[in-house]
Amino acid sequence: MSKRDDKNLLGGLDWMIFSIYLSLVGVGWLMIYTVGYDEDNTAGILNLSTNIGKQTFFIGISLVILLFTWIIDWKFWRTFAYLIYAIGMLKLLGVLIFGITVKGATSWYSIGGFTYQPSEFAKFATCLAMAAFLSTYNTNIKHRASLITAVSLFVAPMFFVLLQPDAGSALVFLSFLFVLYRAGLSVNFYIVGFVTTALFILGLVFPAEIVVTGLLQLVGLVLIFNFKQKRFWLIGTGLLIVASVVGIKYGYIIPVFAANFIGLLGIMYMLYRSRRGRLVSQVSALLVIGSVVTFSASYFFNNVLESHQQDRINVWLRPSICDPQGALYNVLQSKMSIGSGGFKGKGFLQGNMTKLNYVPEQSTDFIFCTIGEEQGFIGSLSIIALFLLLILRIVSIAERQRSEFSRYYAYGVAGVIFIHVFINIGMTMGLVPIIGIPLPFISYGGSSMLGFTIMIGVLLRLDSKRLLS
Amino acid sequence: MNIKNEVLVRVYIVLSVIVLAAICIFAQAIKISVIEGDRWRAKGKELYVKYVDVEADRGNIITEDGSLLATSLPFFEIRFDPNSTGMQEKDFESNIDSLAFCLATYVDNTYTPGGMAEFLRNERLLGKRNVLIKRKVSYSELKRIREFPLFNKGQYRGGLIVDRRSERHRPFNMLAHRTIGYIRDGAKPVGLEGYFDKYLAGKKGKRLMVRAGKAWIPINDLTEIEPTVGDDILTTLDIDLQDVTETALLRGMQHHNAKHGTAILMEVKTGAIKAIANIGRTEKGWWETYNHAVGSAVEPGSTYKLATIMALLEDGHIKLTDSIDIEKGKHQFYEEEMIDASKESFTIDTTTIQRAFEISSNVGIAKLVQLHYGNREKRAAENFIKRLKSFNLHLPVGIEIDGEAPPYLKEAYSADDDWSGTTLPWMSIGYEVTITPLQMLNLYNAVANDGVMMKPYMVKEIQRYGETLSKIRPTVVNKRIASPKTISEVQSLLEAVVEEGTAHRLKTSQYKFAGKTGTAQTNYKRRSSKKNLKYRASFAGYFPAEDPIYSCLVMITEPSQNGIYGGDVAGPIFREIADNAYASKIALTPAINAYAKAPLTEKKFPSISVGKKDEMAYVLSYLGLPIDKTTKRDWGVLKADSDTLNLYGRTIIEDKVPNVVGMGLRDALYVLENKGLKVVVSGAGKVVNQSIIPGTQIRSQTIRLRLN
Repeated sequence: MSKRDDKNLLGGLDWMIFSIYLSLVGVGWLMIYTVGYDEDNTAGILNLSTNIGKQTFFIGISLVILLFTWIIDWKFWRTFAYLIYAIGMLKLLGVLIFGITVKGATSWYSIGGFTYQPSEFAKFATCLAMAAFLSTYNTNIKHRASLITAVSLFVAPMFFVLLQPDAGSALVFLSFLFVLYRAGLSVNFYIVGFVTTALFILGLVFPAEIVVTGLLQLVGLVLIFNFKQKRFWLIGTGLLIVASVVGIKYGYIIPVFAANFIGLLGIMYMLYRSRRGRLVSQVSALLVIGSVVTFSASYFFNNVLESHQQDRINVWLRPSICDPQGALYNVLQSKMSIGSGGFKGKGFLQGNMTKLNYVPEQSTDFIFCTIGEEQGFIGSLSIIALFLLLILRIVSIAERQRSEFSRYYAYGVAGVIFIHVFINIGMTMGLVPIIGIPLPFISYGGSSMLGFTIMIGVLLRLDSKRLLS
Repeated sequence: MNIKNEVLVRVYIVLSVIVLAAICIFAQAIKISVIEGDRWRAKGKELYVKYVDVEADRGNIITEDGSLLATSLPFFEIRFDPNSTGMQEKDFESNIDSLAFCLATYVDNTYTPGGMAEFLRNERLLGKRNVLIKRKVSYSELKRIREFPLFNKGQYRGGLIVDRRSERHRPFNMLAHRTIGYIRDGAKPVGLEGYFDKYLAGKKGKRLMVRAGKAWIPINDLTEIEPTVGDDILTTLDIDLQDVTETALLRGMQHHNAKHGTAILMEVKTGAIKAIANIGRTEKGWWETYNHAVGSAVEPGSTYKLATIMALLEDGHIKLTDSIDIEKGKHQFYEEEMIDASKESFTIDTTTIQRAFEISSNVGIAKLVQLHYGNREKRAAENFIKRLKSFNLHLPVGIEIDGEAPPYLKEAYSADDDWSGTTLPWMSIGYEVTITPLQMLNLYNAVANDGVMMKPYMVKEIQRYGETLSKIRPTVVNKRIASPKTISEVQSLLEAVVEEGTAHRLKTSQYKFAGKTGTAQTNYKRRSSKKNLKYRASFAGYFPAEDPIYSCLVMITEPSQNGIYGGDVAGPIFREIADNAYASKIALTPAINAYAKAPLTEKKFPSISVGKKDEMAYVLSYLGLPIDKTTKRDWGVLKADSDTLNLYGRTIIEDKVPNVVGMGLRDALYVLENKGLKVVVSGAGKVVNQSIIPGTQIRSQTIRLRLN
């Protein structure tokens, strides 16, 4: 321990993160209180049979954990990162055997009346392990071996969580792509990933022929910049594109597709003759992969995804084909309660939609609806702003670290929180498909509260020692 | 790019991705809360306040004589909202025990007053807002419940929730059950209830409901939009005749243990259906299950011969006195052999057409048709069909019940209709054609009505609160279905059937009736053995024969015991209906001028007059007017009561001013001046007013009398 710590117990604490953390937890507590609020029920906030009682209890434990992480030596986390990671993975495996099944997913341990979800802890453990690995001297993410190890570190928990199955929590582990990006992973991976996802989604929404036609034209446009007579080619391609749009509008999809294909073949042939064979083969490979992804999107959607997952994607991409009383119900109710709050909201304890069970899972996944209904537009914006501030602050903290471990750890935390917030709030507003993950610090639930608290606690502790490392 | 720059770029990209995501969420929040806000708020409001329909009471279905065939009886559902927003703690606490006492005493005996109070207190603590007190409460009970302590403060402060419902009730149970019909969710509407639903249903009202916890409770005590009660329909049915018809049919059905049966009674002059009964055998006993009278078109058998003989007569092919060889009841038409049903035929060779009809000889009638329409070119058969069509035997009658089966009449030589060489002869005796009992009856009714065919109908008026909304008048379908000569010939023919033909055993000396029997095989295969044949027995006719009032048709399908013939099975039921109808409606309902009118007294004459009793008695006895009661006093008041004349006494007391109103001036002066009063008179006639009220002490005052 340094002298500085002896003088001041709270020295080096990042007050901004700490106060945002407390505010969010406080808001969450109030929102859970209002959801469970019943004028005739005065069971009290300390009654462990109610949601609010349990949440109070967990907030208490969280504060203890916070104190604990503040006291423990910061080197502890670096030293035992892999051990903690191993424990986390074992818990994920163990839950598949010993866990209880709720709503079809074996994601919980049941301990003395409480349930515990190991995937929340696994996120923290993965943050530590990833940070530890990336900060090791001989790790270079640009080398294949390092890359594979780094990717495995988060794909392994992802895989275990998928076995439960809990696709939503598994998805969260993709947030470590942020860390890897910061660590120097080539941007090409991200571009390929982005394009693939985009093509997949486009392939679901539009006929694959049209999407691939667009892809052909895009590739063509890129390629013609290799020609000398750019203007000539540009006009030709432009005319083809206009003709294609008109053709598709009148239903001539296959002829348009064929014309574009032949056009692109022509361009490639010209390039090949001007000794640009390598470029042609690279582009062709990409084109083939892109087309396969696009054409297989529907197949994947219909044959691999389960029906509730199909429903969620349909609700997101094609709401018009969904049943308002069925698949679309949750999103409609959620939007309705947020919208009904208006500018100022109905006031604390006054929201009746979130109380009367109109909104599903209103204290966990859809807690944001309660904020929207009771606190209105202003309340929603404030919460979003708090989260934005928190994430940006964590990123800026990451950048001021001297220790690479601390920096990558902070990036991991920022990524996990960002994905949670974006997906959770986004889904209550119909911006992203419904994926059942909690809103950090606010949603009801002990596991996520403890998981995020320990993440923040360790972050604050590591940051407090930044000047010493 | 050096390392430092690359790192910087990467950090900025990460930051911009985060900020971009935040902007997306901001934008969506603005869209939902601000741009689409009104829409979501309106939608959200629907979730806790909504209008619900309030069912209107259905109108009544009434018989001609005012009996209710179907009516809606209101009842009330009583609920209690112990957490009503307007209820005050002190109101609840000070009234709950007496309320519980009232409820336990008058409404729900399963509770003790204490138990009820505990129950209500408990529900209040549990936060209940919709506690069921009683499901069915009559209006008079409701009136009392509204007076109960706490409840008398109304819904807002007292928590009383009243929900009005109604249920359909049929006071006469099975009577015309199927004809009255029903409306049920998920089932096809049936009968008059179905056909006249647009009148009976009324208009739904609306009531604003608010969500209280998980229950919906009405916001106000009153309904926002009152439902409009449905209109009543006044049917032509007569409850007595319906009862008679249904009873006779049921008795016959039981006697013959038949599959199902139908009886219809129609008023000859108007086509009004007075009774319609359909009884079938069900697992649970005899019941009205299907309206065969309207819904089933079947091969009628011999009752159809009326149409055949009318066609022959109308076309001038025959005279009733012509001879016909009925060949002892057997004749070969091409490959088919036709056999008569009655044993009498087997002894007769040649007879008159009249006799052939009376004994219902199939061979006789079929041979005539074959001779005149069958053995020549196609046009002859077409003429026969055309003639049958002129009796409307190809058209539905259009009764006000959904699902009338149309009759089936083959077109001449039509391949579609499987016309064959044997079609005409068999058609002439009521096979290869189908017709509903009601349609068949309509032909008999037209004959009874001297050739005027009426449209059968069942509803004569639509009423609202007892006031006529619209009237449905009898409709003439065809003013002359045949010449008067033909009509009168077949009328006498139908009478002869009863006098000396197949129905002669049904004859009665009380009144004359006319009709025709019919016995059809329901499962005939012409070459099959006679075993296991099933029959449909019918009788159609009208009464009294001289001046027909009612026509009636009885059809019994598949009787299984005590006979099969129309004359044996359906005929007696017809007789029972006719006997009762004749006795109750014709014989016992005399013409309006059959007896002298009961005297109606006019109270004006003699007008109330007051005078000397003896004098009045003298005048009245001189006039020959008897006095029923008289008085012992000197002065009398003559009064005409409803049918008697009475003399009541008028008291004159010694030293009091007497009552002289009603006296003539002479009597009044005599009485008053004898008592020492001075009299001032105005006007002429009898005293209508005196200035000093009777009973005043006499002190030689001046009394003013006004005469008129």
